Amino acid sequence: MDLQGQNGLLSTFREPWRNRGLVAVGTSGLLVAFYSLLYFRDPLGVAGTALDPEAWARAVGLRSRWLLYGLLYSVAMIGGAAYYLRRHGNSRYHRVRVAVNVTVQLALAFTLPLVMPYFFTSDPGQFWKYEYYFSYFWPLDWYKLHPGTLQNIPVVLAVYSIVGALVLVPLLAYFFGKRWYCSWVCGCGGLANTFGDPWRHLTTASTASWRFEKRSIHTVLFVAVASTFLLVLDHLVGDRHPTFHAAVAGQWWSLKSLYGYVVGAILSGVVGTGLYPLLGPRVWCRNFCPMAALLGLVQKLGRFRIRVKPDMCISCGNCTTYCEMGIDVRSYAQSNQSFTRASCVGCGMCAHVCPRGVLKLENAPRLQSDKARQHLPVVDL
Amino acid sequence: MPERIVIVGNGVAGIEAALTVRAREPSWDITIVSEESDHFFSRTALMWVATGQLSHRCIEPYERDLYDRMSFRRVRARAVGLDLDARELRLAGELPPLPYDRLLLACGSRPRPGPWPGSTLDGVGHFVTHQDLQWLEEELHGGPGLRGGPPRPDAHLGASTDDSPYRFRRSLRQQRGGPPQRPAVIGGGLIGIEAVEVMHAAGLHPRFFIREEWFWTVALDAWESRWIAERMGEQGVEVLVDHDVLSLDGDAHVTAVSTDHGTFETDLVVVAIGVVPNTGWLRGSGLALDERGGGVLVDERLRAQPIDAGDSEDPTDLGVFAAGDCAAVRWFDGSVRPEQLWYTARDQGRVAGRGLLGDTARYGRGPWYNSAKLFDIEYTTAGLVNMNVAGEANWRFEEQGPVRSTSRVVVADGRVVGFNFLGRRWDHSVLLRWIDERRDLRWVLDHLNEAGFDTELVPPLRIPAEAKGAPLQGPTPSGVPGPIPPPVG
Repeated sequence: MDLQGQNGLLSTFREPWRNRGLVAVGTSGLLVAFYSLLYFRDPLGVAGTALDPEAWARAVGLRSRWLLYGLLYSVAMIGGAAYYLRRHGNSRYHRVRVAVNVTVQLALAFTLPLVMPYFFTSDPGQFWKYEYYFSYFWPLDWYKLHPGTLQNIPVVLAVYSIVGALVLVPLLAYFFGKRWYCSWVCGCGGLANTFGDPWRHLTTASTASWRFEKRSIHTVLFVAVASTFLLVLDHLVGDRHPTFHAAVAGQWWSLKSLYGYVVGAILSGVVGTGLYPLLGPRVWCRNFCPMAALLGLVQKLGRFRIRVKPDMCISCGNCTTYCEMGIDVRSYAQSNQSFTRASCVGCGMCAHVCPRGVLKLENAPRLQSDKARQHLPVVDL
Repeated sequence: MPERIVIVGNGVAGIEAALTVRAREPSWDITIVSEESDHFFSRTALMWVATGQLSHRCIEPYERDLYDRMSFRRVRARAVGLDLDARELRLAGELPPLPYDRLLLACGSRPRPGPWPGSTLDGVGHFVTHQDLQWLEEELHGGPGLRGGPPRPDAHLGASTDDSPYRFRRSLRQQRGGPPQRPAVIGGGLIGIEAVEVMHAAGLHPRFFIREEWFWTVALDAWESRWIAERMGEQGVEVLVDHDVLSLDGDAHVTAVSTDHGTFETDLVVVAIGVVPNTGWLRGSGLALDERGGGVLVDERLRAQPIDAGDSEDPTDLGVFAAGDCAAVRWFDGSVRPEQLWYTARDQGRVAGRGLLGDTARYGRGPWYNSAKLFDIEYTTAGLVNMNVAGEANWRFEEQGPVRSTSRVVVADGRVVGFNFLGRRWDHSVLLRWIDERRDLRWVLDHLNEAGFDTELVPPLRIPAEAKGAPLQGPTPSGVPGPIPPPVG
């Protein structure tokens, strides 16, 4: 097939399960129920019942429900990747990207956390210290920079956590855009681009959704950074200020617990993934992920952009429709404007589906002489 | 006193003009008359709605509140006449005439009707208007895709005319008891192949009747076109070149296509033999129309001209402009005809918008370029290709491997004057610059990848040294029949 063909998308709008039909609603209901049991096992009181995800994990010989989740996650990604490659596999970019995604998930986000503890300890109570997920960084994995976490895990892993979050991730984002993480490495992005791919056209590109996204995602980023700061402060002075400690990390209603429930469980899990079949696969990444927000800011300053070939766009809307982040790519393409949007995860779909080959993702040193390129002698004003 | 602007046509030329006016004049009264649709949509994207790759909403470039936000008044009716002296636009359906101070005609094209007996049978249609799309969706799929057809699809029927291209065609689906079994497409151009793709996406195996020796003779040579035909054949399309249609047969509805090479059974026919300016309603209004093509004759500021200009020194006193498919403009080669292209309609709309504002913006036609995707094969052209330039010679290269592509560079007097590519993406603006800089073939071949626009990880085109020095060939491997008609895109 042609490396840039697009006929894998035909019939998207003729399949009810991909357009909020009954199957979609049912699938979404099942996902929401699954995530609710996974995250709210204790408050829901399902421990010991047939609905206990811990019991499911034991039944398949895994240590915890989180490893069971990792297993299901991997299976969903492999199945989704097969679907994805069947539709878009003619593109090399998509082939390589999805291969990396799945490999990272299988190696770094499932196998290593599963087996690593056995190499370092035989005490199951200590396992958690070595159940390390190399592909997740603060602030997405918000616990990674907590003093309590850092001082308990091996020094090498603590250094990796700090250098990874504060140096490696932003630096790579500067040079390659946030895509190196959000659509090549990250598990959330990986799931969205594989299992979630059937529903990518459901992401709304309305102006209102963009307004909401800008507010919500930066709010979460602010809360993530501020709360991390408060947890560090609590670590330093918490013993002397019991009320402060209780509010930050001590009680079920403390900042630490609430962040975990609201951002970690509800926004990223129940809503972010549970509503894939209804709202598209990037609800979490687009609206709530603090790491996406941070990398988006770096991306705006960095070298990644989508280049627009001048005066060739026919405003067909394929790019906007298939943008999983709800970016109105067409509005840039039809006004000859090369652009970098903070939310763009660089999945490459807009360029792939463009029937006129107008779009191209690139990591360019600076805006090349775009003005000269765009000056076609068409209109003489 | 605010000006009253009336724009006939809700397409890209009309909407660009309206936005241009509104950007500067917040209080002017702007009315957009459209029989076809409530919302501006991308006509070039109709095929993806028909396949199901896009929804009706997806091909609307702006949010639906555009008309409210911009205070554009909309009239869903057919314009039927023009009173240049009273400055009034007459509408069908006994609607009161619309008075204007300045008028823009951006009423586009209509499908060229089949010249053969039987062209008006049921089951014979086109693929140009929004109503054509709805007809084809009904025939092939039993209705629009999920998540919505167009809003108010029937709103214009009360103010339409019998000869309107926006009337609905009767679907034979019920009568047939399902989708067509043996659909046919007549006309070897872009709309034709789009209709074929739409049928192919619906799981059908259409017959594709092409009068010429190969598909899309205006844009491709036989060598390039062979690949497209091969691809169509692989996908189950029966490509019948050199077939001259003689008649469409049937009693009430079409049952066969008769050609000079035999008769073929059919139960649905899309006639895609081009478009003509949608200007029949302007005959007798006093506006000068192009005798051959029917386009509204305009000057370089896109001002329509009276038939009897007399000694009038200022033709602007008509207050009428034309832009897009309905306007006959002067091309770079000096000919006067419509430019049936998306980007030129947009540019003309912007220039006409400046004219409506009272500016003296001029429209200057640039060089020819275009791109498309033909059954997933990328196509880019720039400059003078298939135009029989005096003394032209063609350099050709075919690439096999992970990427299959063809490259053709047209040379005249030692200078590169045109490019035709299949299978890869190219930045036409770089190619046009090279033509402008009068580069020679060797220099262009050595720098070709600087114009590459393939997606990431697509290996760049490598041309072996011996291929660069390959002998140049004639305009096309076999002769091109007759004079080449204007390209349609």
